Amino acid sequence: PTGSSNSGDGPKVLDKKRLQELVKEVDPMEQLDDDVEEVLLQIADDFIESVVTASCQIAKHRKSSTLEARDVQLHLERAHNMWIPGFGTDDLRP
Amino acid sequence: GTQIRSCKDECFLFHGSLYSKISAIAKKKGIDEVSTDVLNIVSHATQERLRYFVERLSTIAEHRSEIYKI
Repeated sequence: PTGSSNSGDGPKVLDKKRLQELVKEVDPMEQLDDDVEEVLLQIADDFIESVVTASCQIAKHRKSSTLEARDVQLHLERAHNMWIPGFGTDDLRP
Repeated sequence: GTQIRSCKDECFLFHGSLYSKISAIAKKKGIDEVSTDVLNIVSHATQERLRYFVERLSTIAEHRSEIYKI
């Protein structure tokens, strides 16, 4: 693992308690092994790293020195087919 | 007119740490400022991503225990 904030070289963005709350939302009966939790925390970390890196490229592409939500939104839509409503654009999508 | 109802946006990730992480990456890429909306959208997206994995893991684990039953 490289440069992970969940592997000790920085503050944590997420802990196991928050992760377990999410798991309970999906399935109240679900129990995760400790090592599965570790992998999920790592996945979260890597995801943030890749999304922010790609979004910075988009911000630079529009010749800005500020990273904005619309940069992140564009990347999420194109690379992950993910639409997070309420950011950047005025139109409400289904 | 159009009425938009909303509720308070709760953040899944820890904002302080997330801000440090995002600004460190941004700085490396030559970006000086990070808008506060960025934290919220990254937090929501990460939550979505993890939910996607947990849902699939849950299904896979169920299949595995069904195979054992047979």
